[in-house]
Amino acid sequence: MKYQSVIGLEIHAEMLTNSKVFCTCSAEFGGAENSRVCPRCSGLPGTLPVFNRGAAYLAARAGFALECTVNNYSAFDRKNYFYPDLPKAYQITQFTYPICTDGKINVGGRDIRINRIHIEEDAGKLVHDDYEGISMADYNRCGVPLIEIVTEPDIRTAEEARDFVEQIALRLKYAGVCDSRMEQGSLRVDVNISLMPYGSDVFGTRAEIKNLNSLKSIVRAIEYETERQSEILDRGGEVVQETRRYNDNRGMTNSLRSKEEAHDYRYFPEPDIPPVFLSDAEIAEIRNSMPEMPGKRLERYTNEYGLREEDARLLISDKSLSDFYDETVRIYPSYKPVANLVLVELLRLLNESEASADNLKFTPDALARTVKMADEGRISKNAAKDILKILFSSGGDPVYTAGERGFIMSDDEDDLAEIIDKVISENKDSVESYKAGNQKVFGFLMGQVVREAGKSANPKLAKDLLMKKIREVR
Amino acid sequence: MSTQLKTIKELGDMLRARQISAVELTEEYLAKISGSDRNINSYISVCADEARAQAKEAQDMLDSGNASPLTGIPLSIKDNICTEGIKTTCASKMLEDFVPVYDATVIRRLKSDGAVMLGKTNMDEFAMGGSSQTSYFGGVKNPFDTSRVTGGSSGGAAASVAGGMCAGALGSDTGGSVRQPASFCGVTGLKPTYGAVSRYGLIAFASSLDQIGVIANSACDCGIILSRIAGYDENDGTSAKNAGDDYISGIGMSVKGIKIGIPEEFFSAGTDENVKESVTAAAEFYKSAGAELVSVSMPSLKYAVPAYYLISSAEAASNLSRYDGIKFGWRSDKGDTFGEVISNTRREGFGDEVKRRILLGNYALSSGYYDAYYNSASRIRTRLRKEYDEIFEKCDFIITPTAPTTAYKIGSVETDPVKMYLADICTVTVNIAGLPAISTPCGYDENGMPVGMSIIGKTFDEKGIIALCDVFERNFDRREARI
Repeated sequence: MKYQSVIGLEIHAEMLTNSKVFCTCSAEFGGAENSRVCPRCSGLPGTLPVFNRGAAYLAARAGFALECTVNNYSAFDRKNYFYPDLPKAYQITQFTYPICTDGKINVGGRDIRINRIHIEEDAGKLVHDDYEGISMADYNRCGVPLIEIVTEPDIRTAEEARDFVEQIALRLKYAGVCDSRMEQGSLRVDVNISLMPYGSDVFGTRAEIKNLNSLKSIVRAIEYETERQSEILDRGGEVVQETRRYNDNRGMTNSLRSKEEAHDYRYFPEPDIPPVFLSDAEIAEIRNSMPEMPGKRLERYTNEYGLREEDARLLISDKSLSDFYDETVRIYPSYKPVANLVLVELLRLLNESEASADNLKFTPDALARTVKMADEGRISKNAAKDILKILFSSGGDPVYTAGERGFIMSDDEDDLAEIIDKVISENKDSVESYKAGNQKVFGFLMGQVVREAGKSANPKLAKDLLMKKIREVR
Repeated sequence: MSTQLKTIKELGDMLRARQISAVELTEEYLAKISGSDRNINSYISVCADEARAQAKEAQDMLDSGNASPLTGIPLSIKDNICTEGIKTTCASKMLEDFVPVYDATVIRRLKSDGAVMLGKTNMDEFAMGGSSQTSYFGGVKNPFDTSRVTGGSSGGAAASVAGGMCAGALGSDTGGSVRQPASFCGVTGLKPTYGAVSRYGLIAFASSLDQIGVIANSACDCGIILSRIAGYDENDGTSAKNAGDDYISGIGMSVKGIKIGIPEEFFSAGTDENVKESVTAAAEFYKSAGAELVSVSMPSLKYAVPAYYLISSAEAASNLSRYDGIKFGWRSDKGDTFGEVISNTRREGFGDEVKRRILLGNYALSSGYYDAYYNSASRIRTRLRKEYDEIFEKCDFIITPTAPTTAYKIGSVETDPVKMYLADICTVTVNIAGLPAISTPCGYDENGMPVGMSIIGKTFDEKGIIALCDVFERNFDRREARI
């Protein structure tokens, strides 16, 4: 490949406000068609938008999460275009004075600059009925607050774009701004991409690919588009500035509209909504209420807690699981054993049941006490897993459960000696085989002991004693 | 009993003294409408059944002692103010059958006051115009001379008051649409400070300039109505938190020592001699009563009309984009694609003047032209505001003619858009600067047509302009229209 890709992204993220941005309708995802609309968000004549200040606070949080400047002054503009999913025929957005500017985040060692974050309203959805040959408009999403994050053209590869989006999605989740569910459309990405010969610093003509809604389609769309533009350039042709659509089934992009057909949005200041002022005190309060971002958390896990980097990454990628872990080790700071139990056992249980760690049947305290019992040798590691399973399915108190299920390990040598004697006398062939050098048989004998003794057998004690008794056999 | 020119204060006194019941009063106005409005066309919809029901409720309020100053008072509502369950057409084919599902904030407030709403008044289509001749439902005729225009866009509102077909009216004023028809029809019209009255439910023309206003038989009546409809409304983000609910307690003021600014540019802007004379005489009246007349200047007045038409048309183009035939209103049955349906719908649904403004507005906002047009207009807006600030350092009030002429013959001036636009010169600066102003008749021309003068006040000084206007009205012999 003799061309360098130059990529910039526009990311739309739906914010987690309770109500819409210019009316009091619920902003929640779903609902029957047009069940979450009112005269305002359906654009009836005479209605006026009233700004939900909660959206400004969330957008400011996004700003801090993406290391931007949060501005004291921002203002709304109208973006005018006709489309049936846009009932007012204009979208209220922040064009001239966005709420956040000049951010950057580091992806794999490179800084990707963020030009701006601005607030705008989402549009509705068209449902096409091919059988009846009609289209229907559902305005439930109309007026749901969005932020649009616009990067500088600093991204160079498809993988970098993917990692960037992944990081943005995670940071927004941590900041409580967006649930970042690409499959539900709460986070959507437009890709601007152009090519230039390696070594050049003059950007080529770009194409914009609209509305990508998975990490995989971002990568595939960029790869396809890079290929397509390279071929044009190789032929000595010119890339046309245009908007393209990515077809996920075919893995291709195709032209939506050319530069000549591009909309003139006729932006002008929105006269119905006064500018938004955030005082220094408000901005400081938002900054101080920001949670730890995933990058910092990763450092803490690896540097302070001594977790392996891949474990730490796995943990932070699920904020609710990571929060649960944090709370557990705050109560009982046994970092690695807790991490092992959480990442292996709990994660498996969560995946199997497609559940989330933010509504578990047990508390971090219960998990802390379980790990503590194991650490102190009062239960075996396997018993700790079993207890976690029980906690996961029906909750309860781990210490009580351990007692009830007989998981508390016994240190009574007499009881154990009796069991071992019995096992040895019942398995004379195996004992002889072991003594003749077949090491593998020890495991079998040990298994018999554990089966006889139950979970309460202290495995270390049992092992030592078995060894000793076998040696004593003449 | 003749109700014509009876003030709301007088009617309220009669209702409370049981000289007339609310139902009887409403019947008198309904009878007047059915007798006279055929010749005037001031109403698009008359809501007789609703009005009678409201009058009954109003009488209950009066009987139980829960009356407000507007209880039982029959009013008319401009047909661009949304009324739940009652057609609100904006005098356009586009909204010919549009029935709002909610009441405008002002309507909610009037209803809870027990006011009676007689019907919805005629206007220029989407409030664009100064003649009330662009209505889809036919033009409005001046009660003083039915061959003449009422002015506009609240021409139906002004004519309904002047013709004795209501005791007071709600209109809307974007560039003079309350004051100029009040002037042409010889009644009093008040345009409040931007933000004093909630715009929620007023179908938008130009959002940064629109303001609901009042037309009535006196400044005091305007104040009585304003006191009940003004005030903060959480449904309107531009609603002012400091708008009060008492606009009449200044009445009875002395004008001694008050400084009244006379901006010369307003008297030389193609203004008719008889208008100039009447307004100058009114100013002299104040002087003789002890006020001081101060000569002031507004150098940028010559830019006001172009700036107004750029800003208002730009906002209108955007505000009127929602009329696409998809959700409500007129929909063309021609066209196979969304693009075709919307084009045909708008071509068929809007009248020429509305189309002209949409074209002008979209042009002014187009990329490449925005700086030259919309942005320049915004800069003029800033400059005009500054010039008003400077003028108000030298005086307390400003007096100007309301319009350069009196009401003209139907079919003359209004057929020339540029002439029409230039006639707004005396009123548009008030909207551009967001100030309050009131127009009251101060004389009659050789044809007996009323001349209006305007008193402009400082932001939120409605109380002051109403009181100052009242001083003049008490000493002016107002004529009744001959219908």
